[in-house]
Amino acid sequence: MNTISRNVLSAAVGAIILGLGSLAQAEDTIKIAVAGPITGPVAQYGDMQMIGAKMAVEQINAKGGVNGKKLEAVLMDDVCEPKQAVAVANQIVNQKIKYVVGHLCSGSTQPASKLYEDEGILMITPAATNPAITQQGYKMVFRTIGTDDQQGPTAGKYIAEKIKPKKLAIIHDKQQYGEGIAKEVDKTVKAAGITPVLFEGVNKGQTDFSALITKMKSEGVDFVYYGGYHPELGLLLRQSREQGFDAKYMGPEGVGNKDISAIAGPASEGLLVTLPADFSTDPANADLVKAFKAKNEDPTGPFVMPAYAGVEIIADAIKGAKTEDPAKLAGYIHKNSFQTPIGKVAFKDNGDLKEFQFVIFTWHADATKTPVK
Amino acid sequence: MSGSFSILEFIQQIINGLTLGSIYALIAIGYTMVYGIIGMINFAHGEIYMISAYIGLLTITALTVQFGIESVPLILLATLFVSIAITSAYGWTIERVAYRPLRSQSRLIPLISAIGMSIFLQNYVQIGQGARDLSMQPLITGGWRFGPDGGFQVYLSYMQVLIATATVIFMTALTLFITRSRLGRACRACSQDLTMTNLLGIDTNRVISLTFVLGAGLAAVAGVLISLYIGKINPFIGFEAGIKAFTAAVLGGIGSIPGAMLGGVVLGLAESFSSAYLRTEYKDVVAFGLLVLVLLFRPTGLLGKPEIEKV
Amino acid sequence: MPRNLLEAVLVALLAGLLTVPILGIHIQVDGIKVSLQGNAMPVLAIMAVVFAARLFQVPQKAATGMAYLSQRLPRPPRLAASYRPVLIGLVIVVAIVWPFTASRSAIDIATLALIYVMLGLGLNVVVGFAGLLDLGYVAFYAVGAYGYALLSMHWGLSFWACLPLCVLMAAATGCLLGFPVLRLRGDYLAIVTLGFGEIIRLLLNNLNALTGGPDGIGNIAKPTLFGLEFAREPSTEGGVTFHQFFGLDYHSIDTLIFLYLVALGMALLILYVINRLIRMPIGRAWEALREDEIACRSLGLNPTTIKLSAFGFGASTAGFAGAFFAARQGFINPESFTFIESAIVLAIVVLGGMGSQLGVILAAIALTALPEIARQFAEYRMLIFGLVLVLMMIWRPQGLVPASRPRLELPERAETAP
Repeated sequence: MNTISRNVLSAAVGAIILGLGSLAQAEDTIKIAVAGPITGPVAQYGDMQMIGAKMAVEQINAKGGVNGKKLEAVLMDDVCEPKQAVAVANQIVNQKIKYVVGHLCSGSTQPASKLYEDEGILMITPAATNPAITQQGYKMVFRTIGTDDQQGPTAGKYIAEKIKPKKLAIIHDKQQYGEGIAKEVDKTVKAAGITPVLFEGVNKGQTDFSALITKMKSEGVDFVYYGGYHPELGLLLRQSREQGFDAKYMGPEGVGNKDISAIAGPASEGLLVTLPADFSTDPANADLVKAFKAKNEDPTGPFVMPAYAGVEIIADAIKGAKTEDPAKLAGYIHKNSFQTPIGKVAFKDNGDLKEFQFVIFTWHADATKTPVK
Repeated sequence: MSGSFSILEFIQQIINGLTLGSIYALIAIGYTMVYGIIGMINFAHGEIYMISAYIGLLTITALTVQFGIESVPLILLATLFVSIAITSAYGWTIERVAYRPLRSQSRLIPLISAIGMSIFLQNYVQIGQGARDLSMQPLITGGWRFGPDGGFQVYLSYMQVLIATATVIFMTALTLFITRSRLGRACRACSQDLTMTNLLGIDTNRVISLTFVLGAGLAAVAGVLISLYIGKINPFIGFEAGIKAFTAAVLGGIGSIPGAMLGGVVLGLAESFSSAYLRTEYKDVVAFGLLVLVLLFRPTGLLGKPEIEKV
Repeated sequence: MPRNLLEAVLVALLAGLLTVPILGIHIQVDGIKVSLQGNAMPVLAIMAVVFAARLFQVPQKAATGMAYLSQRLPRPPRLAASYRPVLIGLVIVVAIVWPFTASRSAIDIATLALIYVMLGLGLNVVVGFAGLLDLGYVAFYAVGAYGYALLSMHWGLSFWACLPLCVLMAAATGCLLGFPVLRLRGDYLAIVTLGFGEIIRLLLNNLNALTGGPDGIGNIAKPTLFGLEFAREPSTEGGVTFHQFFGLDYHSIDTLIFLYLVALGMALLILYVINRLIRMPIGRAWEALREDEIACRSLGLNPTTIKLSAFGFGASTAGFAGAFFAARQGFINPESFTFIESAIVLAIVVLGGMGSQLGVILAAIALTALPEIARQFAEYRMLIFGLVLVLMMIWRPQGLVPASRPRLELPERAETAP
């Protein structure tokens, strides 16, 4: 069985045990809901979040838990659909869980976060990067990842200052994440005096990009920024190479996935990707990486460490503030800083990280990456 | 968008559109044949195509990785054979299990059954092979380039030629089968009047099964070609392709086999041109808009025969 | 028996052939390496199950059993006319009291179910009564939802003010789309409506300036009770919330109960209106048209007007439900309005029994509850959903509660009256 179904199985077993056990030992554990896609087309990103959060729970429990209590991860599947996310959020409220690590997709995080704010549940998303999530004046909402309006400008600046393309095209997948980031890049390069010759959306799930590639080729485009996920970009790269369109491509962390090399093959060589710094190469995380490897899990995914950090921050805050009241914890998290695998973190008033660095990597055909310069 | 109209770019877009259209046409045949005979929209047909793409990718991987076979024609023929065989079995089984018991019901009942089947198959493959994309590296690479050195060159890949050739071959074979063979004649009889054909001693159930098998077989060809051409599949590709192919079938006049071919090509070209000269995000709007327009002026599609209602 | 055995073996072999490539061999992609991994267990298990099922004739027995059951099922008791209002009143009272005792997620799911009840009732008029196959019903749902979201965002109109506007907007869209396409026959109509549904969704996704594109629209106001908000704090300066006004403690569940009651009220309103309509000449005309269009025409009925009225009414119901959906969700984006939504509503209508109001209500509840109950099966959830659809069509094609026509029972002696 693949890892996803294994997770689902353990989630199901976990949920049953939890259901039986919750009566007997209601006060002995601190439950943290981990909400994200376990099934559906973006389940592999949810998987990163799940393994990160579960590892954190295990390791904290191994060190004796929090204030003498064990942590417990309750996995919730929202399939990255807004409607299901609301249902999941209601279940979380129903089960009286007070902390959430999630959700993953911005589209499902947004409606769910309103509920958490209203119900006084502490939410830390390790993956939703849309700026709007933290612009609603919520007090209970945090995130342990950078936002599109940090990542976009990083990419935009690099394009404007280092690449200086003659003809730039910006393509996106018409999804909240992809289009959001593409717009930020567009804004930044325009400010630097470069006007893209093309700003266009493709459809999610589209497989044939030949018409678009022909158009770019005929326009003489020499650099393409793609806002979106790896399946579409992988095909774009592959079909570009096939048609003899040799512009350089760049994309956000949504494309920085090993699968892109599986899809694009040699065409993925030289792709530029903005990613959160690869925390798994940080020497401070060496032991943690070893623990992941021991479980045959991949610690290099962009959301693994942020999810780990999310759980750790909740645990540390409970220890530090000596309370389990989410509202007080939120205040504590706002005021203090935490040592996590993603570095020392502190939060702004809106719940965003004070600092989050995006690094530009060059992708290679063998699915490895090296930082640019 | 482009400053000047380039004839070479235009030719390239026609090639792009024809390739896409060939795939649509192959899938559309399955819709049109089933509709022509039992008047049912087989919504699960897109999933059949998806399953065949999986079987294709699996066979190719098995042959190349597991057995180390390198001869491209051999791989191609073996894959087509395996995929057509198993996919046809799927077509037959689905008809037998989910549609035949509903033969006497009103038309909506099999439609809902087909929608249920489609949801079932999508999730079945997702459980078996996972939701993530599977991919493989191109087997057939290279092609011809035409045009000035250093300028815009028209590129025609071997793969595109293969798709067009395969489409023409299988379509011709199907047309010959339908027009010349005994069973084909039975098919045509069924599509004219099912009850009457039955009265004349033809086993209509067998003919209907045959229709599903043929439709699935052609979808399998499309599935194998797509896993060679695109090289990336997931359990959700059937839905999108199914809707497009169905649109193509209706555009050409549902129930008409040449209509399905024409509809597929027109739809492929429409998508390609709207992506090229309009904006890519509007290509599906154009595709569906075209369908609506055509039906407004020709209510039975491009090549469909008007249905005369008898009292 | 040997013949049976042979068939069972053949069927098991077929099952093996079908499942080997999907369940038996896994394609492992790790980075750029692709490898195959065999897994015989699921294939053998399925072969065994199919073999046993075929050998012991389980499907046939199940079918006979179901047929027997559905004959023995208590028919909805034909109540004396005077008892009906009492029974209906009782059900309504239970539906009103129930949320005060139920859990949070149960109320939430029930609210969702009521949205599908509204959609189902609306589509039932189009498909069940008028016999027009509409596969793009979700378009009007989207018009209602976006209508409310935009009106409330730009002009700050309240939910109750927007509700009639949304209904009008959806009805107008329905008539606008319906007028040119309703002359198409049967399945051509189906595909054109499907196309329209997709076009509307794509436009919502592409017209960023108007609809926010894929970002959707967030922070949509919830309905109020005569201007009283349901929230911890009033959203506007000087506003009064429900619990402040009545001097109660704030309970977040109040909001959910209120939303549920609003949905219940709306669903009952729709039910009432439809029940009146189908007894009026227009309702009779819908059904007459479904049965025989030519006969209708020769009786001097204008089929286009009749179809248009059914189509427009169905659309307005969807707009009504859409506005509530936007308010309940607080956030909408185009992904909530995909084709599968139309398919599910259509499944509700067919599963309930076309033209049967009670059936549609039961089916809507069943189809909303089913995925939630199946949530514990995680990834098998939608698999079960699809399977249930197929099995229900095979075993009970006439629907859960087959439609019975409204009819007047005339007294004996009136029979000979001219």
